[in-house]
Amino acid sequence: MKLAAAAWLVFQKDLRIELRTGEILITTGFFALLVTILTSLSFYLDDVIARRVAPGVLWISIAFSGVLAMGRSFQRERDHDAMRGLLLSPLPRPGIYLGKALGIFAFLVLVELMLVPCLAVLYHLDLSPVLGQITLITLLGTLGFSAAGALFAAMGVRVRTKELVLSVVLFPLVSPALLAGVVATREVLAGASLSEVFDWVRVLLAFDLVFLVLGALLFGPLTSE
Amino acid sequence: MYGPTRALSGVDLELGAGLVTVIEGPNGAGKSTLLEILSLLSRPTRGTLRFGKHDAWRERQQLRGTLGVLAHAAMLYPDLTGRENLALFARMYGIAERRIGELGERFEATGFWDRPTRTYSRGQLQRVALARALLHEPRLILLDEPSTGLDVRATERLVEAVVVERARGAIVVLVTHDLPLSERLADRRVRLLRGRLEEQAA
Repeated sequence: MKLAAAAWLVFQKDLRIELRTGEILITTGFFALLVTILTSLSFYLDDVIARRVAPGVLWISIAFSGVLAMGRSFQRERDHDAMRGLLLSPLPRPGIYLGKALGIFAFLVLVELMLVPCLAVLYHLDLSPVLGQITLITLLGTLGFSAAGALFAAMGVRVRTKELVLSVVLFPLVSPALLAGVVATREVLAGASLSEVFDWVRVLLAFDLVFLVLGALLFGPLTSE
Repeated sequence: MYGPTRALSGVDLELGAGLVTVIEGPNGAGKSTLLEILSLLSRPTRGTLRFGKHDAWRERQQLRGTLGVLAHAAMLYPDLTGRENLALFARMYGIAERRIGELGERFEATGFWDRPTRTYSRGQLQRVALARALLHEPRLILLDEPSTGLDVRATERLVEAVVVERARGAIVVLVTHDLPLSERLADRRVRLLRGRLEEQAA
């Protein structure tokens, strides 16, 4: 089976399970909403402070929701040792990895579709002039985070210390993407154009590319063999 | 080697087409490690693994489609129904959906397979797992304790299925502590003891 077809098959499977259970979207969605509401109550003093705090809140929500989504997505692979069924099949390993990463990315984007408008309302942000830039930065950051997360969550399928792997190894590794995301979002909210934050966008693009390629190459050796 | 432990040592085993080889042995003898290696999930630290003329490890990606494995865990998604699980694996192996119906009938799973597998009893789970392992008519079938949780009727279906697969020319490896099952199916019996293999009388 070709790489894209394998990734699509794994993604469809995850989507079907999620549409049936709603577990990932409900838990991560509520978590992200809670972080946004609590921080808005705590940090909102005026519109200037809000604009400075909002990028951090957005990316903290994405990061922690992402870890929840990854944990749950790969817990489904641990139940009944379903991942072994995937690894025994003729599906190319990179395809399995890309399918899992795509699933996490899609779930996080759905959460962000709810999170970003809530953030705009609670922090009195007018996003309409910068919606394109914010969308691009958020999508690129989320893609990198999902790509790195899927790789490390997959490692956790076969080790007992899976939560430790995710929190201790993942966060330092994704820090370039998170930092680039926060800074680029902050600058855009402060009125910078896309060309002015393009260096940060390039960091995000490079991060995405590196982790998608690394993940595709390392997924097989890290999960078996 | 399994970490610092020598799990298997000097194992020289040739498996024939159309034969059922039963592997016996106490817990910790190395049976699971041997199956892990035969199912191309682990690489032996030393030695070679050949599948016909092929170096099995080097050509593992092409050979994976020819293996059918039943392990302790069912390898099914609990939130999908039995039929959806089989359809998913059929797509992975490029198998026509018609085959799902045949195996559903063979293992008498059609009466419950539209429920999510998390609601199944151990025996029901094992029947769908067996159907999954045989779905793509594998050339090498590895069955680890296949009769676990099966009632008498389902065990008969299992025996029939193995006989059909053997007649088709499949290589069947059966790991079991179920002596009556072993006696009914074995063409050859080997015993693993502390990682070493001994031939038994068939």
